[in-house]
Amino acid sequence: MSIPNFLYKKNRILLKELTKTDFKLRYQGSVLGYLWALLRPLMMFAILYFVFSVMLGFGGKPGDDGYIPYYPVYLLTGITLWSFFTECTNQGIQAIVQRGDLLRKISFPKYIVVVSSTLTAVINLLINLVVVVVFALISGVTPNLGWLMIIPLVLELYCLALGISFLFGSINVKYRDIASIWDVLIQALFYAVPIIYPITMVANSSLLAARILLLNPIAQVIQDVRFFLITNETMTTWGYWTNPVIRFLPVLIVIIVLILGSIYFRRKSKFFAEEV
Amino acid sequence: MAKRKIGVRREVITDSDVAISVKNLHKSFRLPTEKSFGLKQTIFNLIRGVKGYKDYKVLKGLDFEIKKGEFVGVVGRNGSGKSTLLKILAGVYYPEKGEVTINGNLIPFIELGVGFNMDLTGRENVYLNGALLGFSNEEMDKMYDDIWKFAELEQFQDQKLKNYSSGMQVRLAFSIAIRARGDILLLDEVLAVGDAAFQQKCNDYFASLHGNQTVILVTHSMDNVKRFCDRAILIDDGKIKIAGEPEKVAEAYGKLWE
Repeated sequence: MSIPNFLYKKNRILLKELTKTDFKLRYQGSVLGYLWALLRPLMMFAILYFVFSVMLGFGGKPGDDGYIPYYPVYLLTGITLWSFFTECTNQGIQAIVQRGDLLRKISFPKYIVVVSSTLTAVINLLINLVVVVVFALISGVTPNLGWLMIIPLVLELYCLALGISFLFGSINVKYRDIASIWDVLIQALFYAVPIIYPITMVANSSLLAARILLLNPIAQVIQDVRFFLITNETMTTWGYWTNPVIRFLPVLIVIIVLILGSIYFRRKSKFFAEEV
Repeated sequence: MAKRKIGVRREVITDSDVAISVKNLHKSFRLPTEKSFGLKQTIFNLIRGVKGYKDYKVLKGLDFEIKKGEFVGVVGRNGSGKSTLLKILAGVYYPEKGEVTINGNLIPFIELGVGFNMDLTGRENVYLNGALLGFSNEEMDKMYDDIWKFAELEQFQDQKLKNYSSGMQVRLAFSIAIRARGDILLLDEVLAVGDAAFQQKCNDYFASLHGNQTVILVTHSMDNVKRFCDRAILIDDGKIKIAGEPEKVAEAYGKLWE
């Protein structure tokens, strides 16, 4: 049995070609093409900004109680990371089923299909992060070395998305209900993560609720990125918890999900060709 | 759910003159007995104590060896297990029981043009298909011009595949296939493509493989078996009925319906 290995040249080439194909096909036949990778989150941002900042007054004014400096960048950062996570998991969970025709005819390590489909989301994220940084600079945030922390944080979020894709993707081969369940789950998750609302708003009514929300790795990553990129007034998991074990709980969750997902995927992948 | 047994499939590279060795190969599939797709039905089945599937035996103990440089035809009626055997050799399916050893670099053509995408250009499809067959970009660069020349489609390289006629698509796929150099070629019913002139080119190509390349060809054409193969294997109901001289096997194949 061949052991799936990134260093194996054949697999790397296949991964590259499949990713290239996915990315090319994504915007096939649209006039603006790749620009949509940029435009979509920007438009999403414009809508949310209008509704929550302009109409509902989230983010507040200087001097207010719940005031968040650079609220537009703050919001854009959250949306960017969130759309990355949803795109990654949606594509990853569907990957095996969508590429069923390949699996039935050619033998190759199956994880390549999942990784290649999530890499399109990674490319989109990188493009969008450039926009976020430009926005931050325009808004007057001063660049600093702390920005480098974004790299491990994004990596953490990617690992979580990959772990979920492996786990639910394998189940989805047989029980296609998973994709629909995930659709609903992710809608619910959106409101459980402080993307549009500031976490301080939750903390004001229930500190415990805010603390629990921040144990979610997605919330932890988003708050941490905001902390390092925009303002260290952002409340993070570290800010709300002092217990050293609990501080690392979100990272631990990510590691467990990734390991469990990989093991399960590896075991199930032998029969994907027959079941898909 | 009961854990499924798995046999052995090995890929090695040795000096031995055996290219493929198959020992006591078994394979069965789980066929759903009723609508057992989806979560709801599975839960019902669990409650009622129904398995929800039936084991269907396809291969019931195959034993054979193929020497390096041999051109072997595999024949049998529909549903006899030929394609399942090919897919196990290719590593797509896992053997359920038994041992499969592949000695050398194997290139499978279960179907022509795997991964072909209508929205990509001919050029992009060639590289994608090549990567799926396990070739690097440099190797593809070397084969590239020959592929188009053999397909006689040079002027359409940068057209999207959806603008090709189906005959043109098959020709392109076939041209990639025959450029592929590996130690062992697996071919499933891919001979009958293109018009008479292209067919002639393909036949010449197959004749040229004879003696230089290990080939396993699954086919229904006894003419091709007699023309190209050194040896043939007739599979019936998941077992080898007869193996040996192509003429004898072709004769036995004809008698299957008597």
